[in-house]
Amino acid sequence: MIDTSYHRRHVTERMDDPEYRAEYERMSREIAQVNEVMRALNELREQGSMSKAELARVIGRNDAVVRRFFTAQSNPELRTIAAMAEALDADIRIVPRRKAGRRTATADVAGG
Amino acid sequence: MPARGEEETWDVVYYRQVDGQTPAIDFLDGCPIKLQARFDAVLDDVSAAPPPRYSGGGRWEAMHGDMGGFYEVRVQGPNREQFRLFCILDNGSPQQLRDRGLTRPAIAVITGMRKPFMTVFDERDYARVRRLGDDYRAQLPRRIKT
Repeated sequence: MIDTSYHRRHVTERMDDPEYRAEYERMSREIAQVNEVMRALNELREQGSMSKAELARVIGRNDAVVRRFFTAQSNPELRTIAAMAEALDADIRIVPRRKAGRRTATADVAGG
Repeated sequence: MPARGEEETWDVVYYRQVDGQTPAIDFLDGCPIKLQARFDAVLDDVSAAPPPRYSGGGRWEAMHGDMGGFYEVRVQGPNREQFRLFCILDNGSPQQLRDRGLTRPAIAVITGMRKPFMTVFDERDYARVRRLGDDYRAQLPRRIKT
C-alpha cells in the first residue's frame, strides 16, 4: 500500500504557524455553520417523511437539483435555503453569541 | 444523513507527475498562507464526511460538462481573486482500492488554478486539468506525493 499520510503530516506541521492555525480554525467554524444548516434541513425533511422530490416540487425546483444540494454536489442560494425551510415549516435564525469578549454569531434551522 | 465516524474518513492524496512534480502542491505553495489554511480546512471537512454526505461548507462543488467527474474547492483571495483546487473522488471496491495502492477511498487533489474576479478559465486550462486527472487515473498503483 502507498503511504497516504502526506496531507495529515503537512497540516499538522502547518499548525505550528499561528496565522495558518487561526485561519484554519476560523474556516472550519464557518464550514461547520453551513454544514449544520444543510444537515438540519435534511433531518427535518426526513423527520417529516418528505422525499427530496416532494420538497423539490414544493419549492418549485427540479428534484435532481435538490438532491445535489443535500450531497454538496452544488450549493443552494440563501433564498433557496429559506424556501426549503418554509416548506419544512422551519425558521432560519441567526443567534448572537458572546465569547471571550468578542461578539460572534451562530446559525441554526429550527423546526416549527 | 449518517453520523460522522472515523471508519468513514477518506484520505487526501496529491497527484504526482511522472517527472516528480506535484501540480497541486506547487499551486498551494504559491498561495497566501491563509488560503492554504482555507483549502486544507475544506479538504479535511469533506474527507471527514465524504460524499454523499453534505460537507465542505458550500466551498466544495461538483463540476459539470467536460469537467464532469471533477470536484472543485472554491476559495476567494485578496482583491477577490479566485482560487480553485481540482479534485477527483477515488473510490471503488476493496479490490479496486488495493490495486490502486489505497487502503481506503481518497480525495485525489490533482492541481489548482487562480483567476481574477469575474473572469473564466481558458478551455486549454481545463483541458490540462483533465489530462492530469486522466494520468492520475491511469496509474496502478496511484502515483501520489508520499
